[in-house]
Amino acid sequence: MNSVARVDTVTVDAGDTAIRVNHFVRGKLVSGASVRHRSRDLGADFTTPAIDLDALVTPRSEVPPLLDVKLTEIVDFLVETGQRLTLERNPYLQESLERVAATNPLPRRVVENLYSGARHYLTREVLMSSIESNFSNPACLDGWVSRTDMFGLHGAIRAFPPRMIHMLAGNSPAGCMSSIAQGALVKAINLFKMPSSDPFTCVAVLRTMADIDPDHPVVRSMSAVYWRGGDESIERTLYRPQYFDRIVAWGGGDAIKNVIRYLGPGLQLISFDPKTSISMIGPEAFGSDATIAEVAECAAADVAVFNQEACLASRFIFVEGERGAIEKFCAQLQSRLGVDRETASAKAPGLPQETRDEIDVLKMMDDEYRVWGKFDGAGMVILSEQPVEFHPTGKTVNVVRVVSLDDAIRYVNVATQTIGIYPPERKALLRDRIASAGGQRVVRLGSAARHVMGSPHDAMYPLQRFIHWMADEDA
Amino acid sequence: MPMHSFGKEHAMNAAIEHKSAGSALEGLRSLAGARDRFDLSAADLLPRQIEAANELLQDRVGRIRLLRNRAEASGITSIREPEDIVPLLFAHTAYKSYPEAWLTERKWDRLGKWLETVSSHPITGVDVGDVRDIDDWIDRLQAAGHFVSCSSGTTGKSAMMNGSAADMEWSRGDSVGSFSWGSGVNPAQDRKIFGLAPVASVPRNLVIRDALVKAYGLPGLTPFIYPVPPITIGQITGMVALRKSMADGTAKPADIAAYEANSARRQQALDDAVGVCAEALVQARSDKLFLSGMWASLYKVAEAVRARGFGGKDFHEDNSIYIGGGLKGAVLPPNYRQFVFETFNLSPSRVFQMYGMQEINTGMPRCAAGRYHVAPWLMCLMLDQSGEKLIPAVGEVEGRAAFFDLSLEGRWGGVISGDKITVNYGKCECGNRSPSIRDDITRYADLAGGDKITCAGTIDAYVRGVT
Repeated sequence: MNSVARVDTVTVDAGDTAIRVNHFVRGKLVSGASVRHRSRDLGADFTTPAIDLDALVTPRSEVPPLLDVKLTEIVDFLVETGQRLTLERNPYLQESLERVAATNPLPRRVVENLYSGARHYLTREVLMSSIESNFSNPACLDGWVSRTDMFGLHGAIRAFPPRMIHMLAGNSPAGCMSSIAQGALVKAINLFKMPSSDPFTCVAVLRTMADIDPDHPVVRSMSAVYWRGGDESIERTLYRPQYFDRIVAWGGGDAIKNVIRYLGPGLQLISFDPKTSISMIGPEAFGSDATIAEVAECAAADVAVFNQEACLASRFIFVEGERGAIEKFCAQLQSRLGVDRETASAKAPGLPQETRDEIDVLKMMDDEYRVWGKFDGAGMVILSEQPVEFHPTGKTVNVVRVVSLDDAIRYVNVATQTIGIYPPERKALLRDRIASAGGQRVVRLGSAARHVMGSPHDAMYPLQRFIHWMADEDA
Repeated sequence: MPMHSFGKEHAMNAAIEHKSAGSALEGLRSLAGARDRFDLSAADLLPRQIEAANELLQDRVGRIRLLRNRAEASGITSIREPEDIVPLLFAHTAYKSYPEAWLTERKWDRLGKWLETVSSHPITGVDVGDVRDIDDWIDRLQAAGHFVSCSSGTTGKSAMMNGSAADMEWSRGDSVGSFSWGSGVNPAQDRKIFGLAPVASVPRNLVIRDALVKAYGLPGLTPFIYPVPPITIGQITGMVALRKSMADGTAKPADIAAYEANSARRQQALDDAVGVCAEALVQARSDKLFLSGMWASLYKVAEAVRARGFGGKDFHEDNSIYIGGGLKGAVLPPNYRQFVFETFNLSPSRVFQMYGMQEINTGMPRCAAGRYHVAPWLMCLMLDQSGEKLIPAVGEVEGRAAFFDLSLEGRWGGVISGDKITVNYGKCECGNRSPSIRDDITRYADLAGGDKITCAGTIDAYVRGVT
């Protein structure tokens, strides 16, 4: 078969100001400016090398490069990578940061913080806890594990490495670091499809790995490229069970709709679906002005995280209490939303016109709705008796008064990911009904962005679903 | 509407005379009867349009709350130049800014209060105590002088736009005037009228149909109306309510099954209607016809007429047709236009197409050169994609379309659309000097592209069907 490149390859001028995007294919850096694209969020122009589709596929006649590499060695390699992912000392990350600023709506400083935060995912403790919570016997990742059933029949199982496409999410530039780690831990052959809002970070991390050892099997198992999501000339060709076993997608939207067309026997989607997060606050929060202030700060932290671009950012707060005290809380909350934080800037990007219109109208219906804040990005709070119908973004939160938190459960559905609860003792009383309604995670109010290592994500243990579970039976 | 034959100078003089006699607004509105009203350039009209826009602002700012809100937020107290209009334009979504729950929970008093924030006249004297459903509520509003048109979009929320009795009267005149100008057919009450598409039963649509029937139809003859039950606002909002209950998880499987069965029945009625239309057209083939419809249904009816062995010369050579809207997602063979025209013996000069939207009350008829022309009382303001910056009205300009319909009485006439258009402010190939819009209108929403992926999202992504 010939090597197939993109047909719409264009000539790019030498004096072109478009940002250069590099690809990384099975351990090797690929440069070139053959195809021109425009980023979805900020409309920045960038160029990529032409894609050689053959190079992105490892024939099934070849066993995965990581098959016989011990998990401990992989973890060592990831930990060393993590140590090198410090912005001050890593030129690849520095360059990536500069470029991400042109394509991603997150403020530069937030991206910096995300980089430094994600590095902490690549520690031995975290990686091992991920393995231990996903696999009852991690030894099956390193070899064939014998077992005997209740009839005395013998067999062996192996967590065999899959061939995976990771569709990286655009709203969290550091998300690729955990995807790379996950792919390495299950010893997969990995193709990362980068998003137009960050076609840089993933390659920067892979180059950092290649600097440690260019021939390391982890490095040889990784490719990262950009194509425009939905590009049939690539997706129709690549998304086949002959080439890949799993497509892992973070998020929803049109990108997922495109992928679903190609699913079938042998090619499965593991989807971290698009989510909304909420908060629930009991009457205990309104006992004193000091408590109101404290709870408002916790609520604001959960709303503002990643400037509310992430799935775990709260958008609706259901409160039980007296209207007067709740209004005090709303005012406090609004002022705390304007605070500059590690993962949020003082001013978030503006709201879409459609949402502004709806808020303007709600303001006019003043007997039922009250609004704190302005359209200046510093945060808005809308108090109402029923949830608003728009999707609050840009540090906008809807405080909804309910008779009791039990009534708030009907607003939980299969798209509800994280529910921050105050006081925390209420979690135990609510969690079963929240799970039944479709919710996936209850946390203490104010800690939505903190995680207990080894917890499931979106109601699943993803690593075990990546695996090609292979059986050898002597029945 | 009287169709006087004014010369261009006459038209301009008329506008100026009216200005000295009355307001700039009256002067522009009086041009509705001028045959050469589309030969006035935007530059020549601008001073009067700005003056008229300011008259409207002064009159409405105390009456339309959303306008007052915009004026206060932007600090604009008078309109002196086109830039002053931009912050006062309503996004097309302003007319659907009500919480949907009020519809599904039948909170008519609140909906009325909401409607008032985007209306010129207070909504009083409407007893909502025993309103059965949305259609009933809209009927009662109409009895009180509020003619509410809803966008008939089949997905999502309906926009609700209030119009006055004067607006309905204007619509009558404008639709006949536009059709005459665009098709070259004078209203002589000499045609059999055929409606060949289902029409959403909202006041403005009904008024336009009635005006065209009276102007072009043979007196005493009942027009042929597409034989399916009319689409009511109640049906549209019923679908919205079901979608919402599916998202909430409260819809039962039986509710969804009932909806799907109902959709299937409606589809069957639509399919059956095609044959009924074809039969009636074949019967009337030697009469002079006035056809109206949308491409998708017209094509099907044309096919059925051909299948019965008729077409072309079997039909009257002076037939005319009113084609509304674009393809609306229908997939037709590339020669669909030719196929329809040939079937009904339509010459291109007798074909009327126009560009318009429910948000404004003035249509833009298509000229012989295939471009849509802007009337003197309608300002076509071109904005950048974000809808924030005005692009100077010089030469050919591409961008987001905004309009200020100075003729609108019952609500604010300034809207930003979701359409991407190319407008030429110079003289059109057809010889007329009014701004003209190229026939390649697209919606920005359709251009967004399929590249978006983010972990944040809503339950809407989990609701299948009901579209």
